Amino acid sequence: MSAEPAPEPVPAPEAPGPPGAAAAIAARVVALGKDLLGQRRVQVASGSVLFLLLAFAGTGWDYRAAPPPGADLSVSPPARPSTREGARLLAERQRLETTLRRKVPRGPWIVIDQTHNRFRLMRGDDTVLEAPCSAGSGMVLKEGTGGRVWVFDTPRGRFEVLSKLANPVWRKPDWAFVEEGEPIPKDPGERLEYGSLGEYALYFGNGYMIHGTLYERLLGRPVSHGCVRLGREPLREVYRQAPLGTPVYIY
Amino acid sequence: MRLIRLALTAALLAPIAAGGATRTAPAKPEDPETARLRRQVDRLRAERDLASGKGFYLRLDASRYRLALMLQGVALDDYAASALAWGVPEVLFVNRHPGADWDTAAFSKGRLEPQRERDRIEIVAPPLASTAPGAPTPEPSPPPIPKSAEESYSVPSPYRIEFAEGVSLEVRAKGEGGRNRSLFRRFGDAMGLRLSDLGTAVGLGTRERVRLRVTLEAEDAASLYRSLPPDVGLVVIGLPES
Repeated sequence: MSAEPAPEPVPAPEAPGPPGAAAAIAARVVALGKDLLGQRRVQVASGSVLFLLLAFAGTGWDYRAAPPPGADLSVSPPARPSTREGARLLAERQRLETTLRRKVPRGPWIVIDQTHNRFRLMRGDDTVLEAPCSAGSGMVLKEGTGGRVWVFDTPRGRFEVLSKLANPVWRKPDWAFVEEGEPIPKDPGERLEYGSLGEYALYFGNGYMIHGTLYERLLGRPVSHGCVRLGREPLREVYRQAPLGTPVYIY
Repeated sequence: MRLIRLALTAALLAPIAAGGATRTAPAKPEDPETARLRRQVDRLRAERDLASGKGFYLRLDASRYRLALMLQGVALDDYAASALAWGVPEVLFVNRHPGADWDTAAFSKGRLEPQRERDRIEIVAPPLASTAPGAPTPEPSPPPIPKSAEESYSVPSPYRIEFAEGVSLEVRAKGEGGRNRSLFRRFGDAMGLRLSDLGTAVGLGTRERVRLRVTLEAEDAASLYRSLPPDVGLVVIGLPES
């Protein structure tokens, strides 16, 4: 007995309609999906843009303008507070205000703006004298062999006039010789130099002085080694008006 | 023994009882007049503390529109402001208020942003002149004349002085460069500023919680930028209660 051959597979009957309709439907479904997805994308994108715009508008610094000068009445409470605590606070406020007022010197005082090389002699709130000066150059001097370094800055802070000299003599420090390429003398007398500090000098500590200069044309520029140079006429006036103990403020 | 046990029980119960007492008797709110005085006293104390130290500080008087550079209670330089405002960061329309008494404290360690760099001229000393008799003595060349402050530093506008406590002072120059810059450049600058504000408001690279903004004459704004000492303090007086 011979085995009966297996029947050939019969292709499934095609769906009714034109050929490839299923593929077309599938393609349409995909297109519709893409469209929907696209719209969603547009929605998402427009939503994001809107959010970003809102975030941009609503993020930053929220400023309030201070009331114009004189408009703030809160600084003048009634003279007699109604509570005991109020009275105590008022008394303390007055005490603090007095303490702060007393910080301003009663006599003459000196202000030096070393950035702009401006010198002011003050008395109370009034400017008695204003003149150009020369403060520290800020230069750095390096010794060739010894390895020492000097920085020519004028110090900032509050100082006092500690001594006053007419016809001052400059005792040249080491850097003055190093800068000139000269050997540092062993004899202290060789360090003395006459006339280079002008007519007067007001010493305010740590080797720093307010003094005159041979180079008046450079006043207003930062060219000194840390001292404050002043022109002849303003220096005369300062020497005359500023007694020992005069506060010197340098900023 | 009984006494010790009693004492221990009392010691354990005391905080609870105290807590209960504070809960039952809430603090009486201060009347506005006393509160105002207290704020003024706190501000003056802060100023007195700064004035007693050795450091420089700025004193912003909001009621007089004045900004002064101070040292030990003395005004060294004083600038008139043409506009003054204070701001807090706002994120998505919600601002972060720093609290009512933020301005009653003193602020410290103010530093410029952008920083002011100082270029120092360095000189290496010339070699020692020969002391041998008859040897030529070379004349040392005169040291160069350093630039003035105006030549050394270009001043940005606006610039900020940022303090350690999260407060900053933004200084703007009045009418800065408006006439000399093209519309495109001004728009670019404004956008840059807006984006910078956006960044700082959300806390990118900064801890600012309050920003004070003053507008000064261009010359004054430049002068302050050039001469501001390092680590400057700040005290604010005369701001109305927020």
